[in-house]
Amino acid sequence: METSRTTRIVLYAYGILAILFLYLPLVSIGFASVSKARYLTFPIRDYSTRWYGKALESSTVGDLLVTSLTIAGIVTVISMVVGFFGALAFARYHWRYRSLFQKFILLPIFFPQTVLGLALLMWFNALGVIPSWKTAIVAHLVWISPIATLVIAIRAYSFDPALEEAARDMGASTKTILQEVTLPLLMPGVISAGLFAFLLSWGNFPLSLFTTGADSTLPEWLYAKMVSGYSPLVPTLGILSVIASVIILLAALLVPRLVTYLRFLKEQELEFSE
Amino acid sequence: MDMKPVLRLKNIVKRFGEFVALHGIDLDIEDGEFLTIVGPSGSGKTTLIRLLVGMDNPTEGEIWLRDKRIDTVPANARPTCMVFQSLALFPHRSVGENIEFPLKIRGVSKTKRKQRALELLELLRLPEHYYSKRINQCSGGERQRVALARALAFDPEILFFDEPLSALDYRLRKTLEKELKDLHERTGKTFVYITHSLEEAMVMSDRIAIMRSGRLEQVTDAEGIYARPVSRFVAEFMGEVNLFDIEGTAQGSVRSKGVEVHVNGANGDNGVDLAPGETATLMVRPEFVRFLKSTETNDFVVKGLLRAEYALGSRMQYLVEAADGSHLTVEKLREDRYTGAIGDEVVLGWDIDHTHFIRGD
Repeated sequence: METSRTTRIVLYAYGILAILFLYLPLVSIGFASVSKARYLTFPIRDYSTRWYGKALESSTVGDLLVTSLTIAGIVTVISMVVGFFGALAFARYHWRYRSLFQKFILLPIFFPQTVLGLALLMWFNALGVIPSWKTAIVAHLVWISPIATLVIAIRAYSFDPALEEAARDMGASTKTILQEVTLPLLMPGVISAGLFAFLLSWGNFPLSLFTTGADSTLPEWLYAKMVSGYSPLVPTLGILSVIASVIILLAALLVPRLVTYLRFLKEQELEFSE
Repeated sequence: MDMKPVLRLKNIVKRFGEFVALHGIDLDIEDGEFLTIVGPSGSGKTTLIRLLVGMDNPTEGEIWLRDKRIDTVPANARPTCMVFQSLALFPHRSVGENIEFPLKIRGVSKTKRKQRALELLELLRLPEHYYSKRINQCSGGERQRVALARALAFDPEILFFDEPLSALDYRLRKTLEKELKDLHERTGKTFVYITHSLEEAMVMSDRIAIMRSGRLEQVTDAEGIYARPVSRFVAEFMGEVNLFDIEGTAQGSVRSKGVEVHVNGANGDNGVDLAPGETATLMVRPEFVRFLKSTETNDFVVKGLLRAEYALGSRMQYLVEAADGSHLTVEKLREDRYTGAIGDEVVLGWDIDHTHFIRGD
């Protein structure tokens, strides 16, 4: 079917709006980060990369990165594991309370995060747990692991249950089936769930604000500095944070391809060696 | 010699809550036979095969594999294997890895696995380089062969098939039906096949079991199913058929209750032994019905009007309306086609030898 004139105009308009509202602001942050001046002014007169140098030297920045990375890393790993088994319960197995489970597990995603953060903070207080980066992990998981479950469940819905039955029919034990059939088939879903988990945790502000206690993550620090004590370190760190996200995204997209390619090379080698 | 069946089903009942899917199935499957279980959807054939493979347990009854009772043995501990309707080939593995899967589970060494996989590729007439092909690079027919090779690699006592050809187009299906029959002969294994297509069953099987609402209606060879069905259900299941309600007369002959059938030769001497007033169904297949010339007569005769003619490829089919408005179907080879025109008044007749009486419903 040929694209009609109207459709084309709408598509162009959509593209232009996306660039205007999504990417131009990022570019302006980029400009701000290379400004020499202490305050945010446009147009920028003097350019300098000294704030990047400062950011890399600063021990505060180092601490922030370590905290954010630790939280995001742990949240990613746990979300992938919880999401994998959750998705099996969500999509693969038929059991009595399945539809109830499906609704309950999705609820936290739709909860306003500020309310969720506050509720969790009160809950930690009630339990006598002192909020720190560790409690933030729990808070992130409440919100992120359902999303991971959903992402893997979509993958789980698309695979033929007969594959597991066939493996069993050919003598495979439950463990072997999980290892040889289910896990490899759900792997793409597990990887995208991990990616989502990392990026959502890395960029999360409202849940961290309520639950990190004395510790601080990168988004929290950016907000605090924006409110009081702005310096070009703010946009600099913002840009660094975006770059980190992009690197993670590219890695997640390229690593599976690289693995396939390496396997292909190995197979070729095996064939030649015979 | 006393032939022991390889698989024996004794009064198999399967209930899902209130619903009874199988009402007491008794069946002996002989060593090395090709048995096809045929039934419309919902007749319980899939339920039955799942019990036979071990993916589900019967509510009542026993399944014996030679001298071992296996009805509660799980699928992965049974020496049987199934080719699934979806084939269930592992999409993340190569053709070779798929075929080797059951051997890998058993811990067979890599070189032996590969050797066996290559043998099976040859048996299934797939080129050797398919060993490293991806499943999604194979066509429908090739996948079918890979699935068969994988099942044969398992080396099962009995090979089960759950309608594996149903997703393929007509021509490929016809080819693979014959290949499957050929493979059965070459391997000498016991094949148990389920399908909703009796035509498919006819081509391949030694014996056919017809299922209807959770019961086995008739178990016999293709000839028996076609020519001597035990019920109207079986008769109608296998293509076009002419059925008439009849009852026995005091003279030892039969009389039709609906259509005006002129009975000339049927009496107790040639196998028609209905008691006076006893009812049955008379069956004649369309290819045995002839257009009679004015000078001819036959054991059974019906008058009617020729209403339509259809070309079925090698054969012609005719629709004849009898005096009471009911329809008869006649089929002739092209070379024997009826030479008159639509609307002709015709006289149809057939031999007692080609007539079958059904006493059930």
